[in-house]
Amino acid sequence: MTDFFYNYLHIYLFVALFLLFCGIAGVVYRRTLIGMLVSMELIMNGAGLNLVALNRFISPENAYGMAFTLIIMGIAAAEAAIALGIILLIFRKYRHIEGGDLKEMKD
Amino acid sequence: MSIGELIFLLTIIVTMGGALMAVLSGSVVYALMGLVTAMFGVAGLYVYLDSPFLAMMQILIYVGAVSVLIAFAVMLIGPLYRRPKEWTTAGKFGAALGVALVTLFMFVRFVTETFPRVGKPSFAMTTKEIGRLFFDNLVLPFELISLLIVVAILGAIMLALFSRGNK
Repeated sequence: MTDFFYNYLHIYLFVALFLLFCGIAGVVYRRTLIGMLVSMELIMNGAGLNLVALNRFISPENAYGMAFTLIIMGIAAAEAAIALGIILLIFRKYRHIEGGDLKEMKD
Repeated sequence: MSIGELIFLLTIIVTMGGALMAVLSGSVVYALMGLVTAMFGVAGLYVYLDSPFLAMMQILIYVGAVSVLIAFAVMLIGPLYRRPKEWTTAGKFGAALGVALVTLFMFVRFVTETFPRVGKPSFAMTTKEIGRLFFDNLVLPFELISLLIVVAILGAIMLALFSRGNK
């Protein structure tokens, strides 16, 4: 009865690992800051999925992994707000949002 | 194969396809759509992990709030036709792929050799228990998250306001 396909831990871990893979490749590969921000959100999703899967399969008697995933969601919202502000600032100053030309924070 | 397994496979395919679309698509708007698709897929995986409250929070916070914020950023950075091309040189693509593959193989070994293969069958964490956990044991992180969000919103407002004044 417990032999279902979705009762294996490794499937969730590999999906989370694939999200991490895509996120790291995107952070290195993307040129615009918004593309990098999207890739960072992918990495955070993978981390949350990892935590919930390990909580479900390794220690199902408490819910600390799920609580930590909720905290990650709050941090991701704050991070997206800050990144929006910084991207707007960079666009007003340089008129583009490519990451390659941003060599110094203050001028 | 039962219907549950079929939907599970579909959810995994949606998640992976969304992630690939978020990384590989040429336009930022399509990347954002891929991110939303991947987030919906992760919400479905949360349902399969017996935590529907987290699935709801995933859809509310990530799909509802974070992606709307990124969409605002996309809309505020000028018109579409003056966007830079997202595709870059083959060397950069190879470098990104190499870095990501090194990470992948490092963690594949870790995942396959560390954890047990089959999980415990019963897991029923209700929303009430998560709430009790937050307000009994994790009060300080909870309040710190709210403080962090307030500071982040104030910081974003200050950045947007004072850059306009100085220009």
